[in-house]
Amino acid sequence: MTFTSWQFGIFVGTVFGAYYFPPLRALQVQLLVIASLFFYGYGQPELLPLLAVAAFGTFLFLILALRNRRIWLPVGIAFNLALLAFFKYKFLFIEPSSTGLTGVAPIDLLLKLPLPIGISFFVFHNISLLVDLTRQKNAPPDLTSVFLYIIFFPQLVSGPITRAEMFMPQIKPKHFADIPFIEAAKWILAGFFFKLYVANNLNEMTSYMDFPLYETLQTQDRWLLVFLYSYQIYADFFGYSAIAIGLALLFGYRLPINFNLPYISLSFSEFWTRWHISLSSWLRTYLYVPLGGNRHGAFRTYLNLMIVMGLGGLWHGAGLGYLMWGLLHGALLVMERPFLRRLQSIDLAVFRAARASVVFVCVTMLWIFFKLPNFDHAISYLSGMFTSSTNPNPTKLFYNLALLYSLPVIIQHFAPRSLFEGRLRAAEPYLYGSMIALMYLEAGPETSFIYFQF
Amino acid sequence: MQEMSAVKWFARCVFSAMVLLLACGLATAWFGTGLQLPATTTRDGTLITLNRYAKEPIPEIVIVGSSLSFRLKENYFARARMRNLALAGGSPLTGLEIVMNQPRLPRLVLVEANVLSRSTDTALVEKYSRSGNTDPMFFRPIRTAVAAYENWLHAPLSHTQVSLALSRLLKQPPSDFDNRIYADRALQQSNAEDPTVAVRENVTRIEQLIAAIERRGARVLLYELPYSEQLERSRSAKITREIVHAKFSDPDRWLRIDFTRSDLRWADGVHLDERSAVIIAQSIDRALSSLLEPT
Repeated sequence: MTFTSWQFGIFVGTVFGAYYFPPLRALQVQLLVIASLFFYGYGQPELLPLLAVAAFGTFLFLILALRNRRIWLPVGIAFNLALLAFFKYKFLFIEPSSTGLTGVAPIDLLLKLPLPIGISFFVFHNISLLVDLTRQKNAPPDLTSVFLYIIFFPQLVSGPITRAEMFMPQIKPKHFADIPFIEAAKWILAGFFFKLYVANNLNEMTSYMDFPLYETLQTQDRWLLVFLYSYQIYADFFGYSAIAIGLALLFGYRLPINFNLPYISLSFSEFWTRWHISLSSWLRTYLYVPLGGNRHGAFRTYLNLMIVMGLGGLWHGAGLGYLMWGLLHGALLVMERPFLRRLQSIDLAVFRAARASVVFVCVTMLWIFFKLPNFDHAISYLSGMFTSSTNPNPTKLFYNLALLYSLPVIIQHFAPRSLFEGRLRAAEPYLYGSMIALMYLEAGPETSFIYFQF
Repeated sequence: MQEMSAVKWFARCVFSAMVLLLACGLATAWFGTGLQLPATTTRDGTLITLNRYAKEPIPEIVIVGSSLSFRLKENYFARARMRNLALAGGSPLTGLEIVMNQPRLPRLVLVEANVLSRSTDTALVEKYSRSGNTDPMFFRPIRTAVAAYENWLHAPLSHTQVSLALSRLLKQPPSDFDNRIYADRALQQSNAEDPTVAVRENVTRIEQLIAAIERRGARVLLYELPYSEQLERSRSAKITREIVHAKFSDPDRWLRIDFTRSDLRWADGVHLDERSAVIIAQSIDRALSSLLEPT
């Protein structure tokens, strides 16, 4: 069930009505857990047992780790990482269509199961739960609360990755009068607008980046499409995260903000504080800092950055392309680190604009490894950007349409915030109303959210 | 600044959405949806042709096929009353089903017999087989604005201008574009496929549709577009050819297309390039002239 389907609209309406229905108030947490299980199992019921194993297993290791953290915390983390590694990377070694992989029916069944949607996200939730709650040494939470934290449906499939110490204290009775309706509506409408108007329309054009279609492109169009994909992936993931935040607010939960205008970042390290913030802060808290962070000299810091970014790349998918994407981001972080202070000391508008442009162009070029996870295809696309096209029958792209569909991302990043918070504040509801009309009239063809595949 | 109440906020939000929808609805009713929207994908291009087929008077001749026939642009043909409903990435069956489901039929339907392993696009058939007005209530404002701008910028060429451009193109030598990488890849893919089951099913369905169409007075002919010599010998092409010729063995069921193979080029290894497509279109024109002469 995707956020943009009518079934999801009915689902949310029904759950929302029942959630605030006074006779059911005592069962709010249980209701959200059941609703989340229904949401997850709607398309792939065969994967529900896996979700149950992950959640029950994590709960068991949490109880044990609260008694003996030194032994059971690593075991609990290993259990979750093993789940992730098995489901995410097994297809590197086996061919799912082949019959009789091992000859043992239950093992073959497991080996042939598709990648469970959202596994990368709920495994990170589980690890956060184990680390945060055993650090606090409080009484163990009840099983239902643990389940809710892991499978809360707005964030189950693609985040934002919420830390346990932020979410668990929010589990308490919720009241209809406390719902911040305007704030929730703004998040949800902006999310749907960015997904339906921007991402889905741009997807029509960027589908020409796929193999072998990209071979029909002219050189300048290869460049254009990379930038369009950069806008598309932002609009798609920002859209999903915004809808998730808005939906969570309707049920009384505040999820972390996942994007903060990443394409105006002045440095690569700043980019990672603005893009997929919940993932980068998770990696920083649970990987970079335990590895030693920047506390053991320059070489170890660089090594830690490369390890974290490399693993961050592999977290997205089992492929050389994702690993390269992560490592190249790591390399950019390493390269800029010695010069960062000096760069920051030059306070000239032109220089800041140049820095932002360099960061944007580099980040955008690296998205090619996302769009084309096959490493050979990515390299072939990249090399075509620097050679003139000889195809006698190139694809025609409409540049004006590309600009009009990208415009919301550009406006969001570059329009002065003070304008919307000051003079245009009164026009805000009209602006959101226009977004409703435009997303209805001009929605692009339905496509799934890019981050669903991770 | 004082915070606006939620009720006021939502009322204003809904009001502005309704005003914009109403304005767009009125504009649609006033101007109609006839403006040709920009085709950002090949499927868009297909839909434009299908929309025209559903709205305009039934033409004399209709082509149904796959992306191979999609390259034969309507303005390559001398006949004005010719529609090409070939679907890029699609099956000839889809076009044939759509033609069959229309209340009126063209005089002649030409069915491409090269790619017969793909199944019917039932959603497309359903969409273009409904009776009554299928125009949307609202046009897409952004695309319509861009379409208006593009139409203003690039006015459609006159018949004379098109003819001149085509004869200039034909005077040029065949392209010397090196397509070896693409041709090898196409051959590899074509050899990897065994389309037997799908082609058998589809050919049976084509036979049924031909019978139904001809019962209503129209004529149906099959034709094969040339592949490169390498691809002609591929597994998929050979299997398809054997099955379809076994089913339709009568030579009168086939439209004969004459061409000189050395004049033709396949830029991507599979599809005819523009010059070659013009050559084939003109050959089809000649074959049709003898067929459709008044008796």
